[in-house]
This record gives sequence, structure tokens and C-alpha cells, in this order.
Amino acid sequence: MNDDALRAAWIGAQPTNKEALMTAMNAVLDEYHSARAKDRWVHLSAVIAVALLCPALLWCAAYGKTPLVREGYALMAVGTAVMLFGEWMHRSWSRQALPGAADARSHLQKTGFLLARQAALFRTAPLWCAPVFIGGVLIAMWLYRERSHTGGFLLGVSIATGWLMTAVVGASKGKQLDTLRSRMEHLLNDLS
Amino acid sequence: MDAYAGPIRRLCGAYAGSTADREDLFQDIFLAVWRALPAFRGDSSARTWLYRIAHNVALTWQTRDRRRRTRETAMNDGIDPSGCTDLRRLALNQAVAAMNPADRTLTLLWLEGLSAAEIEDVTGVKAATIAVRLSRIRKQLSPVEVTT
Repeated sequence: MNDDALRAAWIGAQPTNKEALMTAMNAVLDEYHSARAKDRWVHLSAVIAVALLCPALLWCAAYGKTPLVREGYALMAVGTAVMLFGEWMHRSWSRQALPGAADARSHLQKTGFLLARQAALFRTAPLWCAPVFIGGVLIAMWLYRERSHTGGFLLGVSIATGWLMTAVVGASKGKQLDTLRSRMEHLLNDLS
Repeated sequence: MDAYAGPIRRLCGAYAGSTADREDLFQDIFLAVWRALPAFRGDSSARTWLYRIAHNVALTWQTRDRRRRTRETAMNDGIDPSGCTDLRRLALNQAVAAMNPADRTLTLLWLEGLSAAEIEDVTGVKAATIAVRLSRIRKQLSPVEVTT
């Protein structure tokens, strides 16, 4: 079969129903816009929650009962800010990795690079979330010493579990992203 | 988009095994084009611009959904993903679907009638390399005629 015959066989005669196509595209756009509106609301709610949480933590850090409690809240305020920055970086890299009008090789290279960054961010989550957990542990220590042994112990155990879960989920997510990145790199090698 | 619906549908057919996956991929491509539209400055032709986005979405989609795709392709063995009844086209479709993603990308662009320079513009692979690989792919596709 010559080139033209192959192309003719490939393209064939496929009539396009313009009306159905326009209806489908409009439905996709409606869905996209409603998803974006929902995303904006979630984002706005998160910003409001943090805007209320951070001043509260800073107030507690300034006027806490003992130095241990003040240090605990101060660390939690710093940790919250670091976590927000991490979340912002992750979202920004995800946006940059969306397929655009770059050529395929550039797109794969860039996506692989951004996936490597995201994987590193997830794997190091227990480190950059540490201030929140250490702050919590300090408050648990104060609770144990000054108020209730059981309450302090339970709070400490919950915080340690949270920290451990962060490490496990971060490592698992990092591994998933590494697998994706290696597939991208494999594809890039095939293409080159 | 209307003018390119056919080529994009064929691309989706080559990448996705089931009807639902083809529709998902088509919608993803349409949304990516919609998002990229404000940045289109006309530096390249609309055709290569659109093919770049479509292939980037398809390659990313395939990398992310490989497991599901493999399973559904196996389930759809022998079924023409584009829904056509032409045997020659069915054989060609199966040959293209069986290729590795890099070869498939080049083949699809070539089958849609793009020149080596245009394929270079879409994929970023040098035109000379494309010519060599297409020559090998054409040999690979020649049994399609024999079997139909």
C-alpha cells in the first residue's frame, strides 16, 4: 500500500455531526466552569480558615499561659505558614504541568522535572510539617504536666500518629509520582 | 475545533481502548485547547498548534492511565476503536494501536498528512530522525495491505 492509500484508509469518510459536536463541547465547558467555580469556593474557604487560624495561633503564642505553651503555638503558626507555602508550590507546579502548546519533547521534559519536584515535596512532608507537630507535642507536654496525664498522653499519641501518617502518605505519593516520572522519561527516550 | 474534530477523534481512537476513554480523552483535549486559546499568537499554523496540544494531552493521559488502558485494550481486542467497518482501516488502526507511544505519535501525524517539518514542530524530534523512523514504520505497516 502506498503512502496516499494508507492515509486515505486512515482518514476514511467520517461525517462529523456539527450540532452534536457543539452540544458536547458546550456541555464540557459548562462542566469545566462549574468545577472551576467550586474550586474557587474551596480555595476561598481555605484562605478564610487560614486567615482566622493564623492570628489565633499568633495570639496564643503571644499570650499563652507558660513559655512552653507559647513556644508550642508559635511553632504551630510557623508550621501552618510553611504548609501553606508547600500547598501553593504544589498547585503552581500542577498548573505548570498541564499540557499546553509546547512541542511534545519539551512538554515531557518539563512535566518530568515538575513531577520530580512534587515527589521530593511529598517525600519531605514530615520535615516541613514538623513545626506543627513539634508545637503540638509541646502543648501535649504542658497538658500532661499541668492538667491531665491522660489528656496529655492522648494528645501526644494523636500527634505522633498524625506525623507518622504524614510520612507514610508522603512516601507513598512520592513513589507514585516517581513512577509517573519514570514513565515520562521512558517515553521521552523513545521519542528522542 | 470543528474542522479538526475528525483528526482528534482518530487520535483518541488510537490512544484509548474503550468508548468512555475516547470521550474522556476528547474532552481533555478540548479543554486543553480552550485553556491555551488566549495564548495563541499565530507564530505557528493553527493546525500544528492544535496537534501539539492534542498529542501532549494524549501522551500525558496515556502515562497516567496506563493500567486502565492496558486492561481495556485487552478487553476490546478485535474491536475497532473508531467504530468503522472498513477492514483495511481496522487493520491499520490495530497496527497503530500496537505501536509504542513515540512511534504512534509520529505515525498519527504522518497519516494525517503532516510534513516532516510540521511533525518536527509538533514533536520536537529532528526532521532527519523523523524521516528515518517513518521509513521503518512504513515497512512495519506494509503487511496491513497483505492481510486485507
